[in-house]
Amino acid sequence: MTSHWFWFALTMICVVWYLTVTVYVAIKGAADIKGMLARLSANYEQNDE
Amino acid sequence: MTHFNWLLDGSIVGLYLLITMIAGLWVRKYVGKVEHFLVAGREMDIYLGIASLAATEFGIVTCMYTAQNGYNHGFAGATPGILMAAAMLIIGLTGFCIKPLRDSGVMTLPELIEKKFGPRIRWASGVVIVLGGLLNMGVFLRVGGEFLVLVAGMDPQYLELMMTIMLVGVAVYTILGGMLSVLVTDFLQFVVMSLGLIVVTILILVNVGWDKLVTTVELNIGAGGFNPFINAELGWGFVIFQALINTAAVLTWQTTIARVLAAKDTDTGQKIYTRTSFFFVARFLIPGIWGIAALATLGKVTNSLEAMPMFLATFVPVGVMGLLIAAMLAADMSTDSSYMLTWGSVIYNDILAPFHKGKWPEKKGLLVNRFIVAIIGVFLLIYGLWYKLEGGLWDYLTLTGTIYLASISVLLIAGCYWDRANSWGAAAAIVVSAAIPVAYLVMEKTDAARAFAKSIGPYYSGIAAFAGAGLAMVIGSLLKPNSNKETSV
Repeated sequence: MTSHWFWFALTMICVVWYLTVTVYVAIKGAADIKGMLARLSANYEQNDE
Repeated sequence: MTHFNWLLDGSIVGLYLLITMIAGLWVRKYVGKVEHFLVAGREMDIYLGIASLAATEFGIVTCMYTAQNGYNHGFAGATPGILMAAAMLIIGLTGFCIKPLRDSGVMTLPELIEKKFGPRIRWASGVVIVLGGLLNMGVFLRVGGEFLVLVAGMDPQYLELMMTIMLVGVAVYTILGGMLSVLVTDFLQFVVMSLGLIVVTILILVNVGWDKLVTTVELNIGAGGFNPFINAELGWGFVIFQALINTAAVLTWQTTIARVLAAKDTDTGQKIYTRTSFFFVARFLIPGIWGIAALATLGKVTNSLEAMPMFLATFVPVGVMGLLIAAMLAADMSTDSSYMLTWGSVIYNDILAPFHKGKWPEKKGLLVNRFIVAIIGVFLLIYGLWYKLEGGLWDYLTLTGTIYLASISVLLIAGCYWDRANSWGAAAAIVVSAAIPVAYLVMEKTDAARAFAKSIGPYYSGIAAFAGAGLAMVIGSLLKPNSNKETSV
């Protein structure tokens, strides 16, 4: 394990980082979609007026 | 014998497909203009951008070639991912090229290129972008179908049927909802894909074990399995070519740059880059480990591209198999939809520009865009059925990508930062960078020239395309006196 510490460390960081980012982006991304669709709806209403 | 259980795993896959289709079709009601269809009205925020970029840049084809890299070259096969992550981080932090690109308010790269080099170069760059992009994505469907057939243990005669079903599913929501459907489905696909990737990787690390993975690489590949510079099949040529092509991809790859163009502002676009950059390490390393695990478990197989799915078919337990296939379908659908849309956007916005001149009504523009996406889908199906892949998948993808990556990255950099760059240099760069990889591909397919092509190899051919494009830009620009019409972007 120690002879290839670089790849071991990178693999562990990848797994932990990816897991964390997935949870975080899942929560924040859903809010982004909500905001994006709300802004598009507001633009439509403005154009209709 | 595969562990795929049609009742349990099939239900998981079916549920995922149903939710994706509903979400993709639901947002089509927000598409009223061409700008909504192509760049989601430029309303995309950071986290949706991260999810979309990550999902798009990881398809089954990615998983297959990175696993093949791991199987053939060990951990050293993940080098392109590290180089791409570094390029994306630096470009995201500095805003190199992407800041002037997003600030300009264009919808595609050739539109920006026109501001510096004129309408003819815009048209020509649109053609090489589409040529390189479509040749590149031409193998996606077949590779995706092969993975699913192998993992699910289906009869190979259903490969074409599998390809067609996948394509039709993706095409329906992409044609109707454009970039908005792509973004929303990308988000769902990112979550499903990531869960699948993480769970399977943890299973491999626990059940196969890190020590066995390392020992397998040591025994089968040797020290070159950990260090690309001393790997007999990789070496300096590989690393230099990967550094060039991955930097060019970060700057100009249509699906990547589309996220910067769809971002709500320049700062958001740069943040999407910096915060997604490390994903590209995972993008190569995680499937690379799957490939190494296949080598550790199966030993040497005839076709190294099939090793990883053959391994997963019997390694992943029932239940998790459904998650894995849903994850891979998610990865593939997000990639296919985004690729069809973004390359279609170049056809409409740049290649057809002389016809519509930006004056077509929104309804007509939307109709034409939808038609273009459908035509790309048909092309994918025909090309995927016809083309027989020679050599490594990653080599094919980088080589076809080079057709435009070399010239367009040179045009973008020169257009943004070199005042003397002009249309002569741009035209020369486009011709040179397309000619070298196309000549290599033709030689590779010709009996008389195959041995010569092999002696050059894809890495030095790719480096030559980049060097040639840069040189052509400099020489061509210096030959022509400066014109007042050609100003900095």
